[in-house]
Amino acid sequence: MRLITAFQSLMGPVDAGSIWDSLGLLLKGMGGVLLVMLLIFGVIVALNKVFSRPDDKKDGKDK
Amino acid sequence: MSDFSFLLEGVQAITPKILVMWVIGGLLIFLAIKKDMEPALLLPMGFGAILVNIPFSGVLNTDAANGIVEWLFNVGIHAAEAMPLLLFVGVGAMIDFGPLLSNPKMLLFGGAAQLGIFVTVILAVLLGFPLKDAMSIGVIGAADGPTSILVSQQLKSAYMGAIAVAAYSYMALVPIIQPFAIKMVTTKKERMIRMPYNPGKVSRTTRILFPIIVTLISGLIAPDSVALVGFLMFGNLIRECGKLESLSQTAQGPLANLITIFLGITIAFQMRADQFVNWGTLIVMLLGLFAFVLDTVGGVLFAKLLNLFLPKGKKINPMVGGAGISAFPMSARVVQKMAVKEDPENLLLMHAVGANVAGQIGSVVAGGIILSLAASLL
Repeated sequence: MRLITAFQSLMGPVDAGSIWDSLGLLLKGMGGVLLVMLLIFGVIVALNKVFSRPDDKKDGKDK
Repeated sequence: MSDFSFLLEGVQAITPKILVMWVIGGLLIFLAIKKDMEPALLLPMGFGAILVNIPFSGVLNTDAANGIVEWLFNVGIHAAEAMPLLLFVGVGAMIDFGPLLSNPKMLLFGGAAQLGIFVTVILAVLLGFPLKDAMSIGVIGAADGPTSILVSQQLKSAYMGAIAVAAYSYMALVPIIQPFAIKMVTTKKERMIRMPYNPGKVSRTTRILFPIIVTLISGLIAPDSVALVGFLMFGNLIRECGKLESLSQTAQGPLANLITIFLGITIAFQMRADQFVNWGTLIVMLLGLFAFVLDTVGGVLFAKLLNLFLPKGKKINPMVGGAGISAFPMSARVVQKMAVKEDPENLLLMHAVGANVAGQIGSVVAGGIILSLAASLL
């Protein structure tokens, strides 16, 4: 694939493909991180619901 | 006289770049000892920088023999990133995820506070860094030394030494960098928001299943994160299972200390003068600072965004979002200190701790996702 130089920058030429790749990385990266965190959130809520014991609520003890 | 000329070979080979590295090594040692800035890493890195920059140094490979620092690098980092991963076992054993498990919405801040990583990648690309170096530089914002080292090594970044120095230096500067970043995007009124703490109860079964399930989720979505997340969670499982107290103490103490001793001096292999002394290193340090600040800002702004939809009385103090970086527990303490300064009765510590440990998960997930996406981009 031929690199298309967008402009010359401080550390060297910047190719247009890299700019688009980095923008895509922002969307996919943050999307992926938030998706994983939401899934883990759901798991924690489910675990807390399934494995909480009535006596934990009564005497407030963490195990 | 000519028979003694060999004694001067080393002196004659000293270059200005080598002198610069000696000064940098001395500076890191000074910061570690006098200013108490991450001494466990900065001191070995500083001394290592001096070792590898002595002309014809015996710690580097020569034609005649292998050098110990180069060997440690090849075996401990280059081969399979063993040192940072083993350190993560110790880190995982040290972390108590209880405040997060009892208040799981803090996970969102651990995710939002990784924004600076990806924005910095864009900026680094615009400055002309190749994409693999830009991605490695961005991970400095994760405020996680082992993740920074691992990602930059796997992506074969040319700036690994600078990235490691930046990551650990800025982690030590959290008490200075974070208050500046938080005040930049919050008002006094927002910093005074009180948040009652009513934690849910956490069972032991939950604490045991949590590291296993997190590893599975992260690994299925970003397979390249399995090493990072897996070793962190392995350490945590050793801690939480309740049957391996001596192993947990070993992981938290002797293992973590042993790896730390060698990791710092090994990273110095990437601080050889010919690689380190260039304008790129300086720009990497500045970009790393930008990533750090933006990570904090990302977490704070996310909290402010959520507040638009929350009723009065249930608002989130935006500073808690800023604690969603991985610098545990320093960031949580910084947020609590700032809260008390504005309102002496405002106790945000447990919320901030929850966000802070979420940030540890967020940073390794972000590192793993970058590695997964790099496979298709590079």
